[in-house]
Amino acid sequence: MDEYLWIIENKDLLKVFYGLLIGAICVVIVVRTDRLFKISLHQGIRYFRNAFFFYGIAFIARAFIGLAFFTGYKNLNFFYSLNFIFEFFIIMAGFFLLYSLLWKRIEDTADNYSSSLFNSKIAIFYAMALIIVLLDSIWQETRIFLFASQIIVFAVATIISFANYRADARQHKFLKFYLIAMILGLTAWILNSFAGAYYAWANSFITLNVLILDAIIFLLFLFGVISVTRAKQ
Amino acid sequence: MAKKRERLDVIKDILKVIRDSRQIKPTRLLYASNLSPQMFKDYVDELLTKNFVKTEIDKNDKKTFSLTKKGNDFLDQYKIIENFIENFGL
Repeated sequence: MDEYLWIIENKDLLKVFYGLLIGAICVVIVVRTDRLFKISLHQGIRYFRNAFFFYGIAFIARAFIGLAFFTGYKNLNFFYSLNFIFEFFIIMAGFFLLYSLLWKRIEDTADNYSSSLFNSKIAIFYAMALIIVLLDSIWQETRIFLFASQIIVFAVATIISFANYRADARQHKFLKFYLIAMILGLTAWILNSFAGAYYAWANSFITLNVLILDAIIFLLFLFGVISVTRAKQ
Repeated sequence: MAKKRERLDVIKDILKVIRDSRQIKPTRLLYASNLSPQMFKDYVDELLTKNFVKTEIDKNDKKTFSLTKKGNDFLDQYKIIENFIENFGL
């Protein structure tokens, strides 16, 4: 258990490295998928890329939060700003990830937005994310609205990815890992909500396990993106 | 009703027909692409502008289309793109 105690004692420093590691994974995913999008102009790839672009921003903001705690920097405005960036972008990333699975059912083939970050449909996500962050700023202890939104997002994404897996798992092997990633994501958000709402963040064991689950999810996506984009016919 | 082909599928189909034929006359390509003449023109103009396709004159003084290296590369990349879309359920 010594290792566990060491992790708990150094959790702020580890959060810095953890945030930077996830941020780096997101950069690789964004660069690879951006190359595919520029060749194909496929909207699904575009929204998938945006999801990891926003996850990258969120986790780098989180690394800075860890750094502020580690160094004892106590500027509240700085902390609240980073917290806002983290929460806003992680919500938007979840929305984009779900939308990358749903866009074919929603968008008209005639829709041809010049920007996937700023258009009328995506504006709804921005508005929702903003409302969630503002509501959480009122009940800051638990982040209940963040958790509720992401549990819904990942529950729906799990159902869709299960349907995709059932339909085409033999031909496309990564669909299985995608489903696993969504289940792990859902589990991580449920655990996170318990850690916040029930234990008021005092249970480091749950927090640590959530971080491990998140790392597995991002590594799964990194593995999938690299293996599929590297594959030769 | 048959599903409408996406832009990427249309480009792939046109390039594949040209690659399979090595050299192909515009009328044969129009017929093989299964597009309206106006849409066909738009796609071919785009492919010429992007340097995926080049025009040549054959021994009978007729205009033909053939694939450039860039067009060939796109067809190879298409497999990866298609694989990505289907593996990630996009």
